[in-house]
Amino acid sequence: MALSLRLAGAVAVGAICAAPLAAQRNTPTTYAITNARLVPVSGPTIEKGTIVVRGGLIAAIGAAVTAPADAQIVDGTGLTVYPGFFDSYTALGYPAPAAGGAAAGGGRGAAAAAPAARPAGAANSNYGVGLQPEVQAVDGLDPDATGFDAAHGAGITTALTSSASGIYRGQSALINLRIANVNAILLRSGLTQNVGFTRGGGGGFGGGGGYPGSLMGVITSIRQELYDAQHYRDVKAAYDKNPRGMQRPEFDPSLEALLPVLARTQSVVMQANSEREILRALDIAKEFNIRMMIAGGAEAGKVIDRLKADDVTVLLSLNFPEKGGAAGGGGRGGFGGRGGGSPDDPEPLAQLRARVEAPKLANTLAAAGVKFVFESGNNYTGMLNNLRKATNAGLPQELALKAMTTQPAELFGVADRLGTIEVGKIANLTITKGDLFDGATKVAQLFVDGEPIIIPTPAATGNGGGRGGNGGGQ
Amino acid sequence: MNAKPCFERIALLAVLLVGATTAAPAQVRRATITPVGPITLIKNATILTVTKGTLPNSDLLLRDGKIAQIGKNLSAPSGATVIDATGKYVMPGIIDPHSHMMSDATNEGTLSVTSMARIQDVLNPTAPNIYRAIAGGTTTLNVLHGSANTIGGQNAVVKLKWGRPLSEMMFPGAPPGIKFALGENVTQKNNATVIVQGQPARARRYPTTRMGQEEVIRDAFTRALDYKAEWDSYNAQTAKGVKGLVAPRRDLELDPLVEVLEGKRLVHAHSYRADEMLMLLELSDEFHFHVATLQHALEAYKISSEIAKHGVGVSTFADMWGYKIEAYDAIPYNAAINMRHGIVTSINSDDDGRARRLNVDAAKLQRYGGLTDDEALSTITINGAKQLGIDKKVGSIEVGKDADVVIWDNHPLSVYANVETTFIDGEIFFDKKQDLANREAAAKERAALEQEEAAQNTKPGSRTGAPAAGGTTNDQQQEKN
Repeated sequence: MALSLRLAGAVAVGAICAAPLAAQRNTPTTYAITNARLVPVSGPTIEKGTIVVRGGLIAAIGAAVTAPADAQIVDGTGLTVYPGFFDSYTALGYPAPAAGGAAAGGGRGAAAAAPAARPAGAANSNYGVGLQPEVQAVDGLDPDATGFDAAHGAGITTALTSSASGIYRGQSALINLRIANVNAILLRSGLTQNVGFTRGGGGGFGGGGGYPGSLMGVITSIRQELYDAQHYRDVKAAYDKNPRGMQRPEFDPSLEALLPVLARTQSVVMQANSEREILRALDIAKEFNIRMMIAGGAEAGKVIDRLKADDVTVLLSLNFPEKGGAAGGGGRGGFGGRGGGSPDDPEPLAQLRARVEAPKLANTLAAAGVKFVFESGNNYTGMLNNLRKATNAGLPQELALKAMTTQPAELFGVADRLGTIEVGKIANLTITKGDLFDGATKVAQLFVDGEPIIIPTPAATGNGGGRGGNGGGQ
Repeated sequence: MNAKPCFERIALLAVLLVGATTAAPAQVRRATITPVGPITLIKNATILTVTKGTLPNSDLLLRDGKIAQIGKNLSAPSGATVIDATGKYVMPGIIDPHSHMMSDATNEGTLSVTSMARIQDVLNPTAPNIYRAIAGGTTTLNVLHGSANTIGGQNAVVKLKWGRPLSEMMFPGAPPGIKFALGENVTQKNNATVIVQGQPARARRYPTTRMGQEEVIRDAFTRALDYKAEWDSYNAQTAKGVKGLVAPRRDLELDPLVEVLEGKRLVHAHSYRADEMLMLLELSDEFHFHVATLQHALEAYKISSEIAKHGVGVSTFADMWGYKIEAYDAIPYNAAINMRHGIVTSINSDDDGRARRLNVDAAKLQRYGGLTDDEALSTITINGAKQLGIDKKVGSIEVGKDADVVIWDNHPLSVYANVETTFIDGEIFFDKKQDLANREAAAKERAALEQEEAAQNTKPGSRTGAPAAGGTTNDQQQEKN
């Protein structure tokens, strides 16, 4: 099925791609970055060396490497070259959801937040929009939709992406971030099943749609569909064993798509930030014995024992809460935000505490042995600065770097082709002016699939809104 | 406006009533609750047991989370924390049989039947109102789904163990329940579209009459009976040893309704008018299920005999009425009349904040209806416990019950009464003196955090050396990471 879906995607984008492909015919494919500081991550740092990129792959790296005659030279003086960075959870390539679309709390009676942009529904589904795990992220992906510029500015060359709206959001895609045919930038499809505590695509309560319209209904919908998938699996197995005398079970694409989740061959990524959201997610994982990752994880530090016991990897957001931002979510009054506070009131201590603690979280997780990789939280402008805040707060720099490179490559099953600078691997490179962990260091240039991308300065792009995850009317 | 659930209006009222005394619980740190050893002796208090009368100048021994001994001149066991409560009053923790506190969502209002929705899934153990409630002597809540639809979601009974994880707050062994709702909140019939503040208008949802509400319940239980038959048949055949059967599809909507039919789940039915309450009682006869409580039930006094005959409890307000058409026939003597008919009657908040003032509501029943002290106190303690099926554990001060007790500086039926200390399972979760100390600590913490934040934002990224790569250190880190 995945194959046919992908073919459909190819037909759809074929027309768009004709022009760029033709234009590429005369562009060079061999580059040499010379006199640069090289951080391959797989081995020791080379203080001054050369990387040769040829045909989209890394052809050579070393202090003694000389640039081939046909290579276009990139003068790397003053530059540091890293393996291309991963963003391990994003909606890049999808229309941005409405502000606060990820919030799951809300005051009394409230459903989640404003309805997010509706994804297109899958064909022939028995389940409503937003409850269709068969949706393939790659089918809805439009590399031109939001542009990759902001992500490039944060040094991101590879991203795990899926729609940010809906409950069952479908199967994520791992892509290389360059503007090209979707099929050309796709690394892996159907990697994870992404789920959020958001309302259904139908909008639910007040949104003109139906059930589920509240967080209660959302959680129950997630559970009911998994129970349905279990039943579907058992009925199918019984029929396959002995079809005689048994009504043929109807094919159900949604439940079919959940079978790998039940079989633990596909992980579920739940977007969850607050302690109680994370626990709600882990409780579902436990109820159905499914493998789970937590995306966001703002309060992961409060549930370390549980994360370790359940062997859960956190896709940790680098979108730290900011002063005056909506992070932490919701009104502060006891009456579901109705009363609110006077503008003169000091901010709630919990909010201040959350802000100060955010940069320390990664190191806390590392020290406790909780597996994590970084994700952008769709805030690219602050991403690298927040990475530096995390290292300033104690996270060893090499761990920070690995959580952007080798760790996600391993997590997503592409460590044999990405994550380090080694000969034969895909030429995804993030090049900074100076060391990544120096104060004002900016990304100067990228290579994605061996294709150079220059970062314009200054880039005032990006920012997909605050992390809306915490919710709660408190 | 008429379509608004009643608790919204009540919340507004409560803001007016208690706004001035609202503490700032966000400033109270979770970690500063005074730890108390497993043994506490409260000396020389006036003990309001509720079920066994008032005991002047008496002592109360709490041990291992239970009430261990009640009497005069008890000697302190070794290791006991002794509290001198001379001139003070001790009463059982208040029970709110209808709360909307701690919930990140209140209504799944999209369908007429949402029995699959569960309040337990959306509880927020950090809700500041928890702290305000224990500062008002309340220790147990029945958190209910809202009243947007005929058959609403499942409830959660919690102990307000502020600062603890949710798993420690769930009331052990409390029978599960479910919310039903009748009348105006369900029909929403004065509007062609329903307007909820902050949300787009939506079309009205069936049913829009009380007739329709009866049909919804009848239909739901008919479906539940079919579903139960399907499972009963499967279970019977499996028990007989028939192999290779596939279990029926599990239906999260019908599971709780089957539990209602089997007497394993309590029905808490939001209702106002006498006719709609009678309708539900007759339906319960027809389908052989039991209604645990009629919630609000402002016209219950008109049919007290019928309610008493069905063994149904009433949980009502002390003196709130007239806030919508179906509340016009309310009288403040409702609770007293029901009690005199032998109905287990309680007072509730129907709110996320008002649980902190239930003692005042109980006192009003003495003004309206002349209840005795014990009768008035029973409406906020033991009677709620009976309605929730937890009266063996809480609701009165008796040896063997959970040590959920509250020390007041005045008689709790006085408007001058304030809570000094609140115990749940023998542990202190609110203490007035400690609260004052916490405010100082919170101010210090705030100053320290503000300083730290400033440092975080000015500290330049410092290059402390090139990232090491390869080698054994790396492998160890990888392991860790």
